[in-house]
Amino acid sequence: MEIDPLPNGTGSADTTSTETTITKTATTAASNTALSSNPSQLTESLKLEHQFLRVPFEHLKKTIRANHRTAEKEVSAVVSSFADVTDSNGLSNDDAVLSLTSLVSRLQGLKRKLDEGNRTENLQAQRCRVRLDHLESTDAEYLSVWNNVRLKRILVDYMLRMSYYDTAMKLAQSSNIEELVDIEVFQEAKKVIDALRNQDVGPALAWCADNKSRLKKSKSKFEFQLRLQEFIELVRAENYMRAILYARRYLAPWGATNLKELQQVMTTLAFRSNTECAKYKVLFDPKQWDFLVDQFKQEFYGLYGMTPEPLLNICLQAGLSALKTPYCYEDDCTKEDPLSQDNFRKLAMPLPYSKQHHSKLVCYITKELMDTENPPQVLPNGYVYSTKALKEMAEKNNGKITCPRTGLVCNYSELVKAYIS
Amino acid sequence: MELHCLKDSFERVKKKRKVSYSKTHEVTELIVQEIEMVQSSTLEYKSKLAELKKKLQEVAPLSQLEGTQKKLNIALSKYPKALEKVLNPDISKAYRNVEFDSRVVNQLIASHFYRQWLFDVGDCFIVEAQDVDAAATMKSLFQELYQMLEVMKCWDLEPALKWAAANSNKLKENGSDLQLILHRLQFLKILKKGSRDEALKYARTNFVSFAGNHMAKIQNLMGCLLYPDRLHDSPYAHLLSLTNWDTVTEELTRQFCNLLGQSYESPLSVTIAAGIQALLPLLKFMTVMAGKKHEWQSMKQLPVPVDLGKEFQFHSIFVCPVSKEQSTDDNPPMLMSCGHVLCKQSINKMSNNGSKSFKCPYCPTDINSKHCRQLIF
Repeated sequence: MEIDPLPNGTGSADTTSTETTITKTATTAASNTALSSNPSQLTESLKLEHQFLRVPFEHLKKTIRANHRTAEKEVSAVVSSFADVTDSNGLSNDDAVLSLTSLVSRLQGLKRKLDEGNRTENLQAQRCRVRLDHLESTDAEYLSVWNNVRLKRILVDYMLRMSYYDTAMKLAQSSNIEELVDIEVFQEAKKVIDALRNQDVGPALAWCADNKSRLKKSKSKFEFQLRLQEFIELVRAENYMRAILYARRYLAPWGATNLKELQQVMTTLAFRSNTECAKYKVLFDPKQWDFLVDQFKQEFYGLYGMTPEPLLNICLQAGLSALKTPYCYEDDCTKEDPLSQDNFRKLAMPLPYSKQHHSKLVCYITKELMDTENPPQVLPNGYVYSTKALKEMAEKNNGKITCPRTGLVCNYSELVKAYIS
Repeated sequence: MELHCLKDSFERVKKKRKVSYSKTHEVTELIVQEIEMVQSSTLEYKSKLAELKKKLQEVAPLSQLEGTQKKLNIALSKYPKALEKVLNPDISKAYRNVEFDSRVVNQLIASHFYRQWLFDVGDCFIVEAQDVDAAATMKSLFQELYQMLEVMKCWDLEPALKWAAANSNKLKENGSDLQLILHRLQFLKILKKGSRDEALKYARTNFVSFAGNHMAKIQNLMGCLLYPDRLHDSPYAHLLSLTNWDTVTEELTRQFCNLLGQSYESPLSVTIAAGIQALLPLLKFMTVMAGKKHEWQSMKQLPVPVDLGKEFQFHSIFVCPVSKEQSTDDNPPMLMSCGHVLCKQSINKMSNNGSKSFKCPYCPTDINSKHCRQLIF
């Protein structure tokens, strides 16, 4: 439960309105006290933050590479056109001056571009740095705040991957964590995905061209799949001549590695789009576009060093499995256990149960762990409660104990200690 | 965690990037200068051009850029390698390929937003995700609590007092003294304003019903009346501490959730926090078991014990120290006469189905299996 703190500092509880400023971002000790695991555990858990640091870096790297490419291109263009000017003998003085002036203005343009690129690179480098600092800022004092931010980061990641961009934006803005999430990076994906949903491969192909070398390195077939789909669309429109020309130009180069798919798709020329032959019918299914969207997402995640699944799903699965015990599905399951809720139970259904090597006993009355400090005691009827709970009960009731589950009344002196290892 | 070495590695990237940028800038500037020099001298144009050409060849702008770029590239490839070494490069290795129903997941998230009073975000999400309207009921449930806590930030206890009065029977049933501690804050608030009469009047009307169970606390409060103007340096100064407000906020939230039949913590927060603790041992196991993925997909129980913090223990789990198996209805935990506990099956085995006595594995006591008692946790 998230609770905004009461203002501190002025040690009074006055009703004067001047003292009522509340900071939205900070949460008090009252929130999530139970969920703030100890600091050493948290430091360990930082190992899970690869994506958090990797994504902004890949973004920066991409920008650096692109900026450098433009600079290189411009400089070499200038050098070569300068060579043209000097080499052409018939050039009049005026013409030479003119072309030199244009070279200079071209170089000035490059300089402007460089400065602009430098600014973006700086911003992106700053972001990488902010994230490193954020991982370092896990003070014990603000642990619950930090954990809370982590959950929000995980949620924003989920929103972005599921294309719930508005919610992602709103959550990031209202929690002031824009620097810690990758909304900007996903803008790039959004363009491609939106187009694919409209059956337009243009932006996706442009994206492939942009990332050609890296896609080639990972032996990605994504571009080929886009081309296949475009071919299919031409066949669907009964534009056979263009389809064949298209295939010659864009599909043939993939023949060496993907001959089988190539042959299969070429056969559609014979079958047409209304075919009932299952093998070819599927190629005309509009669902193929959804498949392309998924395919794109995987390529995109891979390029940016993101996990193939949303972080939320990964954590949710591990968490549900770790919490799942046969007792969770019983009617008297405590409501503090997430698995007492139907929706959580549904998700956990196909997952394995947790495994324990040691007994862990929770007192029915206080819900506290029973250990050597607070050992379990046995009533004559075999029911077990914590010493703490029973002592308190005995003190209030003249040494009498009432079993809350059976109503049995006995003396405190009748209890027996149980030793659990 | 070697965060500092990641930092160093990244600083190198930053430095090399800067060098590369200023080099490109410098080279461009140089070319511009050279050309401008030619332009400014209209005399002997041809020979100047030739000179410029030679100079440009000497400058060799492209190879200059190459040098700094190469260094930057090295830094750029080192940083991700450091990341992969220090951090776990792919946490999805611990993921079983079980498809979650995204509608269910979305409902969990929407409820979570409303529970955390992110009403705007929740509303936005419901529109965007569709089909999660069921979660909107959470909004109306939690709005009341939110309003109570909002005004408490301005030291206004009225709505909370009203709610507590309306639910006073249920609160008493749960053994919560929320109503009293709310009244206490209100009483102190009045007293601090300096009106002792009013405070006394307030005490008379409101404290009487608690006299039965909380006499000591009320006596304590009445003592405050002696120090209306200088409560802060009286023996009762601790009552003014702001932590009292935090305590009340927490208790109010707890009781409110309780009466709604909701958990105190957001279940999504709990699950994700548990998941983060569980991922590390699971990932460790996966690296050991690399290549045997299939087994992992079909198992009924996690392959490794995952020790979650005590805040995640909701159920009593008894593991027999002899058989290492968890107890079940058919194989319940049994208390032996010495106070040690084993599972029924282990006792049966050691006593040869009750036909002989045996020695407790933990102490020298002779155990007769007929005198063992079943335990219920």
